[in-house]
Amino acid sequence: MNKLMRYKVLPVFLLLTGLLVVGGCRKSSGEKGAKKVAVIISTLNNPWFVVLAETAAAQAKSLGYEAKIFDSQNNTALESDHFENVIVSGFDAILFNPTDADGSIVNVMKAKEAGIPVFCMDREVNSVKAATSQILSDNYAGCVAIGKYFVQTMPKKAAGVKYAEILGLVGDNNTWNRSKGFHSVVDLYPNLKMVAQQSADFDRNKALEVVESILQAYPDIEGIFCGNDAMAMGAYQAVMAAGKAKEIRVYGFDGAQDVIESISNGKIMATGLQSPETMAKTAALYADEFFKGKRDFPQKMPVAVELVSQANIKDYSALTKRN
Amino acid sequence: MNKNGLKYGVLVLLLAVVAYNSVYFRKLDEKKASAATTKFDAAAYADAFWKTKLLPDSGKAIELNMLIQELKTDKDKAFEAHSHALSIGNLRYFLVRGTGKITAIGDHDVTVLLANGPEVTIATEYVFGNAARDASGQIRLTDFDNTMDLNNVSSEINKIIRNRVVAPFKASAKTGQEVSFIGAIELNREHLHTDAIEVIPIHI
Repeated sequence: MNKLMRYKVLPVFLLLTGLLVVGGCRKSSGEKGAKKVAVIISTLNNPWFVVLAETAAAQAKSLGYEAKIFDSQNNTALESDHFENVIVSGFDAILFNPTDADGSIVNVMKAKEAGIPVFCMDREVNSVKAATSQILSDNYAGCVAIGKYFVQTMPKKAAGVKYAEILGLVGDNNTWNRSKGFHSVVDLYPNLKMVAQQSADFDRNKALEVVESILQAYPDIEGIFCGNDAMAMGAYQAVMAAGKAKEIRVYGFDGAQDVIESISNGKIMATGLQSPETMAKTAALYADEFFKGKRDFPQKMPVAVELVSQANIKDYSALTKRN
Repeated sequence: MNKNGLKYGVLVLLLAVVAYNSVYFRKLDEKKASAATTKFDAAAYADAFWKTKLLPDSGKAIELNMLIQELKTDKDKAFEAHSHALSIGNLRYFLVRGTGKITAIGDHDVTVLLANGPEVTIATEYVFGNAARDASGQIRLTDFDNTMDLNNVSSEINKIIRNRVVAPFKASAKTGQEVSFIGAIELNREHLHTDAIEVIPIHI
């Protein structure tokens, strides 16, 4: 009798369990919480990109989605593997910081073909038909502001004033957008003469070496504009070592904490404050809006870059206390 | 033999026709010129925007004194109601109007004491940035795929201001003179300062 009951109860139990599982799956697929957002980042070796990744993931989670961070380690092949995994694993959106403006296009296209929206953050891909939207720092406008401050603060001499420019990676769009913004202002003042323009790959140590050699060739320069803050710190180190900290003004870009502190201490003149938090949050919000049916996103959404200078550093004193 | 000759002759003629129609030569400067026609013309866009949108829209500019009061009373409400910007972030732009007396003429700006209000400066040297492009809110970001086109629009509008507004103003401005202006200003929503407002002039 007991055996008979067991045989009758077991199939009913299995049937009910099966129905619950199927019902549960159906319910969860219709729920917001079931959507998965991948955050694929060029590198997590740089604290700036860690902030970008963690803010994007946190914002996606706060909107009720699952979020997972993938580190491409500045390797396009690894980035490609991440995209394949993300597509196969059924992720619903990708918040993406590309490793290469050209090389990453194919990965974004793969996701697009799979019906997965991609929102680029901070770095762009050189295609307007690949990503759903690209949320990028307004590098050009930020450097227009720096260029204006550069013109205002550089010495005025009838014979002209010499300066140098240290570029970032020559293959990076941000490098040239920054340089073009700066020159759109400074080149209107022929008294300011650029005597050297060299790349230091956004790297502090390379900038130190490059500026050391520039100072040997042109010991009379009075200003150095650097395409990022790491290079500005390297340039300042070279200027200090040459005993010319009072004669040569150094300008950076990024809003890094050490440069904000250096502006506060009167060592560096100015920087352009980028906001990785704003870019990451906007990308996650765009993904949320996409899930809710929105499709008309701007292809490129600029994020304002604020000038932080000797003139307004008091407004940004809180940033010198960031961890 | 004659038959073969005819056959080969027709074949050669056919190949010659195909080859002639397959390859053609154009001067490089003609090719470059035709490519340039598809390129975005920021100067033409800026000129049309200036004449058909910005100047006609300048009637909607808010009185600068009133804006300053609103910013002091409810900053967020004032930014929400009167500011525009194509970018996300703290930098916002306002289309403003004012009347006042010139109190100083400097190398880079003209100081104007607003009637019943504070002193502001009208930029006459450093006319840069996105204030004039963005303040009216008339340009839509979705109309542009390329941000460099937008940057160039700003640059061309500022060029128009330097040539058509600033140059005649600098030539005629005198201390003590009464002036009415319409212009664009940039304010930082997070770090707001209303005591050192710089106006990019659009009409004086």
